[in-house]
Amino acid sequence: MSTEARKDTGGAIVAAILIGVACLVLWDTTSYVDSDSAVFPRTFSGVLITASAAYIVVWLFGRGEQLSITESGSTIRRLLLITIMIAGTLAMPWIGFIPASLPVFAALTLVAMYDPWTKFRLIVYPIIGTAIVLGFYYLFSKALLVPLPTAELF
Amino acid sequence: MTTTRRTLLLSGAAVAFAASIGLAAQPASAEYPEKPISYIIPFGPGGESDITARLQQPFFKEKFGQDLVISYKPGAGGAVGWAELNNLKGDGYTIMGVNLPHIVLQPQQKDVGYQTDDVTMVYWFHYTPDAIVVTDDSPFKTLKDLIDFAKANPAKMIFSGSGKGTAPHLAQIRFDKLAGVKTTYVPFKGTGASVAALMGKQVTAAMAFTTVAANYEKTRLLAVAMDKRHPRFPDVPTFKEAGIDIVSGAYRGIAVPKSTPEPIRQKLAKMIGEINADPAFVKKMEDGGFAPVDYAYGPAATKFLSDFGKVVTESAKEAGMLK
Amino acid sequence: MPGLEYLIDALTPINLAFALLGVIAGTVIGAIPGLTATMSVAVLVPLTFAMPTSSALILMGAIYTGAIYGGAYSAILLNTPGTPSAIATTFDGYPLAKKGEGNFAITIACLASVTGGLIGAVALLTLAPPLSKVALAFGPVEYFWLAIFGLTLIAALAEGSLLKGIAGGALGLLLSCIGVAEVAGDVRLTFGFHTMLGGIQIVVALIGLYCIPVLIDLVAAPGHHLNVVTGASGYRLRDAVRYLWGDKFNAMRSSVIGTIVGILPGAGGSIASLVAYSEARRTARPGQIYGKGEPGGIVASESANNATVGGGFIPTLVLGIPGTPPDAVILGALLVQGVRTGPSLFTQQGDIVYTFIWGLILATILMLPTGLLIGRYAYRTIITLPKSLLVPTIAFMTIIGSYAISNNINDVLIMIVLGAGGWVLARFGFTPSPIVLGLILGPIAESGFVQAWTIGTATDDRMGMFFGRPISIAIILFTLFTLLSPIVLKRLKRIKEQAHVD
Repeated sequence: MSTEARKDTGGAIVAAILIGVACLVLWDTTSYVDSDSAVFPRTFSGVLITASAAYIVVWLFGRGEQLSITESGSTIRRLLLITIMIAGTLAMPWIGFIPASLPVFAALTLVAMYDPWTKFRLIVYPIIGTAIVLGFYYLFSKALLVPLPTAELF
Repeated sequence: MTTTRRTLLLSGAAVAFAASIGLAAQPASAEYPEKPISYIIPFGPGGESDITARLQQPFFKEKFGQDLVISYKPGAGGAVGWAELNNLKGDGYTIMGVNLPHIVLQPQQKDVGYQTDDVTMVYWFHYTPDAIVVTDDSPFKTLKDLIDFAKANPAKMIFSGSGKGTAPHLAQIRFDKLAGVKTTYVPFKGTGASVAALMGKQVTAAMAFTTVAANYEKTRLLAVAMDKRHPRFPDVPTFKEAGIDIVSGAYRGIAVPKSTPEPIRQKLAKMIGEINADPAFVKKMEDGGFAPVDYAYGPAATKFLSDFGKVVTESAKEAGMLK
Repeated sequence: MPGLEYLIDALTPINLAFALLGVIAGTVIGAIPGLTATMSVAVLVPLTFAMPTSSALILMGAIYTGAIYGGAYSAILLNTPGTPSAIATTFDGYPLAKKGEGNFAITIACLASVTGGLIGAVALLTLAPPLSKVALAFGPVEYFWLAIFGLTLIAALAEGSLLKGIAGGALGLLLSCIGVAEVAGDVRLTFGFHTMLGGIQIVVALIGLYCIPVLIDLVAAPGHHLNVVTGASGYRLRDAVRYLWGDKFNAMRSSVIGTIVGILPGAGGSIASLVAYSEARRTARPGQIYGKGEPGGIVASESANNATVGGGFIPTLVLGIPGTPPDAVILGALLVQGVRTGPSLFTQQGDIVYTFIWGLILATILMLPTGLLIGRYAYRTIITLPKSLLVPTIAFMTIIGSYAISNNINDVLIMIVLGAGGWVLARFGFTPSPIVLGLILGPIAESGFVQAWTIGTATDDRMGMFFGRPISIAIILFTLFTLLSPIVLKRLKRIKEQAHVD
């Protein structure tokens, strides 16, 4: 049995990681004061370990699941999307809701831009973006009384 | 002509001077509150703490001309909100609901991001007294019936209650100890669910609150954990009358961020006290099964919290909830 | 019909206006992931102090029912349930929209929601007192078995490897344990991080696990978000009505499931839609391929979740026990107004109750024209907005929406991290639906189990507790039937085919 015959090695690695997660959970349950709190996490850590281990065995016998997903598209843009969203969220409590949202919106527009920038788009997109951000701001903070983050720095 | 002008100028200056002194001496509190106050409930909408705040809302507006705007910051049984409290702006326009025994027990159980002393209490305004609730067709007519049954059948007397480490749970522990019985406590998610379990006969009785009997038909109380009988239920005896010394419940109050200036804390305490003293408000509270208390900002609130804390901590240790 | 005389009271201009406004506002709010029915009803509570009780109830009921329907829009167009109740709508709604039939999907959702809403409301009108007994018949052990039944849906939802599906479900159940335990005293699995104390909110997980992967793939390539089939534009109302008529048993069954699950205080719209979906899938006719864009999936989910509105009001009004979270808020508002719910509410304050129920029925009917109109607008917006604006708009919505769930910035971070993690897991065949199922059902299964175990221990009858109660036995048998019937059917078919060959 050669390594090439084993399909879905990635899936097997994830299964191994999940076994690690389950062990971490088991370790955490040892610190509980109330025995009722431990029953459920222990049971389902067991299930997670069993299912993951079984999948690894299946993989060892070369019967891993053939995944049809093919890697396509821009990984850089994907990473940028997540990074910008996290950065904006982290900045929000410090600089306030609107000052954090507008740059996030603008940056994501750039990341998702595949069409050429025409004069029309240069003018209209920022206007629409600002309108959407402000619209949501008013809907949430004024109509729905959500206490949105305010700037702590100023 | 000139004199009047001079007088005007002088008096104008004097007013301005006086005003500036006044401002320096009592920042903003002279006219406080001059805009709506944000009242944060560290639980979700629809719960008992929310209903409490909703009851205060119209009285506050009527007395002080400003809105109480209620918002929610639920999570971890209130701990998420209380851990955030001192990071909020201390200008008197942000206040937060506080519950007991939560703020005493949570920090002792695990690191939840705040200590009991971090919470600046302004007022403890009421409590929902613990009470034993049964359905109206229950064979238990009196507290004695229930205790007799519990003595004859260890562990078979099953109470439903809201959560663990909560007021009903601690009351059940104290009840077992003082009445010399052994009962079983089944935690449910919230008082509503524990009453549903009672009505569905999944359990024999509920360790709940006086408010339950006020809100649900087909239920009755066997005993209430108060000093004196509740005015809404004059026929229901207290635990004390049966020789069981339990006076407890879920207390509620209001806290402010630590940075809130002293004059505002006092003004706020006075305002809540005024609402609590309004006969119409008292009537509404008592009809709902609540029991008003008044432990205002200062020594009263501090002493109450430390006395209460001792009793609760002891019960929790006996139950093995604290190390 | 009882209380017919109060129909006139419900038809006053002010009540009609409230019903219409409520449905419109609710639909829009429900369509935005993160804005839930609970929250929108809570915002209205102070307003209701100044109006007649029945009008206040109509307004809140209309918002509630509108929000449950509005959740379908984002489920179909963005693969993200706008409210947790719409979770099963994504299973077939999004694939259908991907194929270019988004407008058809939305019209089907509207028709199904109105059908379910009406059946739930009529049950409330005619059968409330007897049906409320269902709420009390369900004890801890019944909730436990109901949750286990829900978990068996993993077998159907796991695309590809069943082992991976089970692992995903177990992971979801473990994730649901994070934070302060619901019915036990411990703080679990936070590993010292204060941010994790509040645990993972279901809505936050839904937004993260369903919406972030869509965004990640949207941003990576230049193509369109949804295909558009040329020549199949407009409402496609005729097609939708024809389909629904052909699928009427599914719609009826799902509405009844929704009503019953709505009555159960420990369940809710998400469970109702999952159970109804599972049933529709189990009884699929030949040619119906669920999970790949079968309109029947939308019919099941949407009629069930709107039926929970009427169903949920049954224990709320009859017993004072809220059937669903928005009901808890409405109940609170009633208490503040001095209205005590209970069996006598129907006899002594019939004017309030029956006027409200008729108002709810009217609001549900009004949902048909407004829903179609708003739905068309939502669909148009999504397909015409250029990608470079669509991506930031959706991203912004996920951020503000997950913040608003408990006004906590940590939830936003949890949402993004879960989403990115979910995307990676999905690349390796661990799909998000089993994880979400575990998250939703975990707390119900756990508290039910702990409570039943405690009671069983106290009465020295654990076996009887878990396996001896009639409703439990019925649920267990049904669970086994659902799990085993596909296998048995396949076996039977093979035998038959072999017989033919011979």
